[in-house]
Amino acid sequence: MGLQRYVAKRTLQAVLVIYVVATTVFVAIRSIPGDPARLILGGDADADAIAAVRAELGLDEPIYVQYVRWMSDLARGDFGASIYTGEPVLGRIAGAAEPTLSIGLVGITIAVLIAIPAGIVSATRRDQWEDYVATGVAFLGISMPSFWIGIVLLLTVGTAIPAIPSYGYASIGEGVVPWLSHVILPAAAVGLPYAGIITRMTRSSMLEVLSEDYMQTARAKGLPPRLILFKHGLQNALLPVVTVAGILFALLLGGIVAVEMVFGVQGFGRLLIRSIERQDFPIVQGSVIVISIIFVFMNLVVDLLYTSINPKIKYGGEA
Amino acid sequence: MSTDYGESETRFGIRIDRFERLRETVAGDYKATFGLTTVVLFVLAAIFAPELAPYDPMAQDFALMQAPSLSSPHPLGTDSFGRDLLTRMMYGARISLGVSLGAVTIGAVVGVSLGVVAGYVGGWVDDALMRFVDVLWAFPWLLVAIMLVAVFGQGVWNVVAAIAFAYIDDFARLARGEVLSIREEEFVLAAKNVGLGDVQIMTEEVLPNAVAPLIVQFTVLVARAMLAESTLSFLGIGVKPTTPTWGALLGQGRSLIGQAWWISIVPGIAIVVTVLGINLFGDALRDAFDVRGEGGSP
Repeated sequence: MGLQRYVAKRTLQAVLVIYVVATTVFVAIRSIPGDPARLILGGDADADAIAAVRAELGLDEPIYVQYVRWMSDLARGDFGASIYTGEPVLGRIAGAAEPTLSIGLVGITIAVLIAIPAGIVSATRRDQWEDYVATGVAFLGISMPSFWIGIVLLLTVGTAIPAIPSYGYASIGEGVVPWLSHVILPAAAVGLPYAGIITRMTRSSMLEVLSEDYMQTARAKGLPPRLILFKHGLQNALLPVVTVAGILFALLLGGIVAVEMVFGVQGFGRLLIRSIERQDFPIVQGSVIVISIIFVFMNLVVDLLYTSINPKIKYGGEA
Repeated sequence: MSTDYGESETRFGIRIDRFERLRETVAGDYKATFGLTTVVLFVLAAIFAPELAPYDPMAQDFALMQAPSLSSPHPLGTDSFGRDLLTRMMYGARISLGVSLGAVTIGAVVGVSLGVVAGYVGGWVDDALMRFVDVLWAFPWLLVAIMLVAVFGQGVWNVVAAIAFAYIDDFARLARGEVLSIREEEFVLAAKNVGLGDVQIMTEEVLPNAVAPLIVQFTVLVARAMLAESTLSFLGIGVKPTTPTWGALLGQGRSLIGQAWWISIVPGIAIVVTVLGINLFGDALRDAFDVRGEGGSP
C-alpha cells in the first residue's frame, strides 16, 4: 500500500471513530436521569414554564430529530451553545483550555528537562550509583498520583515560598511572571510522574542504541566519546521517545483534572465536571468530541511518524 | 496469581520454564524483593483488617478528633470525625486493592479475547475489532467514569467498570501484536496441519505463548488502576463518600490541609508505597520474562 493511500485510509477511519464517539456521548448524556430545563428553572417551577424552556432548547422533539439536527450542525462546524449561558460551546472550551494547556505544556517541559538528562546518565552509567538513583526516583515518580504530589508541593514549596501563589490562575496576558508563578506548582505535579516515564524510556532506548553496530564503528574510528554519544547516540535514541511522549500527552488529562481541583484552577476539567453535573448537553458533547479529535489524530500522527522513522514497518502491514 | 504459566508447555509450542527464572529474579534482585514484600504486606493487612485493626472503622472518638499522627492511642491519628486513621486505612486497602485487581482482570479478559481473535483471524474481523478498540481508546476514561456515576450513581462497581473500560484497549493491542508474531511460528502451522480447530489453537497454542508480556502488562496496569481509583475517589466521583478507600480518605483531608495535614499525607504514602511495590515487581517480571519496552502512563 502506498503512503498516500495509507494516510487516506487511516484518516477516514479516524473520522469514523470520532463519529461513533460523538454518537455514543449523545446517547449517554441523554440517559442521565433528570431534566436540564428543571435544573435551569429550579425545583418549584411550574410545568408550563418547564415545557417552554424545553421547547426553546429543542429538547421536546423526538430524540432522532435532535440527533439529526445536531449532526448536521456539527458537520458545518457548529457545536451549539451552552443551555445555561448561551455562550458558544467552542468559545467556552477555548476559554477553559488556556489554564489546562498551560499546566500541561509547562508540565511536559519540566518533565523533559528532568527526564532526558536523567535517562542519558542512567544509560551511560548503567548499574552504577547514578543509574540506581535515577531509576529509583523515576519509579517513585511513576508511583505517585499527581494530585497528591500537588498537595505535597502545596504544603512544602507553597508554604516555604510565599511568592508562589497556591490558588487560582493568572492568564498569560497578565504577564509571564504571574502566569508562571501560578502554573509552576500544578505543572510540576502533573509533570513529575511523566518525568519518571520518560526517564525510563530514554534509558532503555539509549541502552539499545549504545549497543548498535554503528556506535561500535564510531568508537573504532576514534571519534571523541562525547560526540559519539550526542551525535550518533542521542539522535537515534530520542526518536521513539518523542513519539511515545506525544501519545502520553493526550493521557495527561485525568491527572490535570484532579490537579486543577487541588489548586482551584478554573480549567477544562472543572468545566467538564460542572457541565455534566448541570447536564449542559452541548458543552459535554462538544468537549468529548474535541478531546477525541485530539486523541485520534495524535495517534494517527504518531503512527505515521513511526512508520517514517522505522522503514521496516510496512504501511497497513502487521506493525 | 496462579502458577500455571510457570511451565509454558503447549502441545506443539516451546517450553520455557518461566517460573524458575522468576524465582531466581525475585531472589536476586533487591527491587523485586522489596516490591513483592510490600505488596504481600499490604494484601495481608487488607485481608486481615477485621482481626488486626485496632479500632472499629466507623467508631468515633469525640475526645480525639483530628488527633495528629504518631501519637497514642491513635498511631496514625484520627480524621475530623475522630475515626482511627490506621483502621480506616486497613479497611480502605481492601477496597482500593480489590477495585484495582477486579478492574484490571475484567479489562484483561475482554481485551485479550478481542486482541487474540483480531490477530488470529485477521482480515475484516481484525479491522472491525481494532476500530472498535480505537473507539474505546478515544474515550477519556475519566469521562466514562463521570458519566457512569451520573447515570447509575456512586458505587464500587461503577468505578470497577470505568477503570476496566479504560484498559480493554491496552490488552487488546498487546495481545493482537503478540498473536501476529506467534501466528506465523512453525508450531502453529504444525497444529493446523494435524487438524486442530481454530479455537483450540488460539487457547491452547497461541495464548500460552503470549502470556509473559500480558502478565507484565497486568502488573503495570494494576499499579495504574490504583492511581486511577484514588483520583476518582479524590474527585468525589468514585465510591460512596462513606466507603473508606485510600483516595477517598485523602480527598476528605484536602479541605483540612491547614489544620490536619496528616489526613491527606498518610493515605497518600500508602498509595505511593503500594504502587511503587507493584511497579518494581512488574519491572522484575519484565526482566525475568525478557519483555521489551516501557509501557504505560500514570
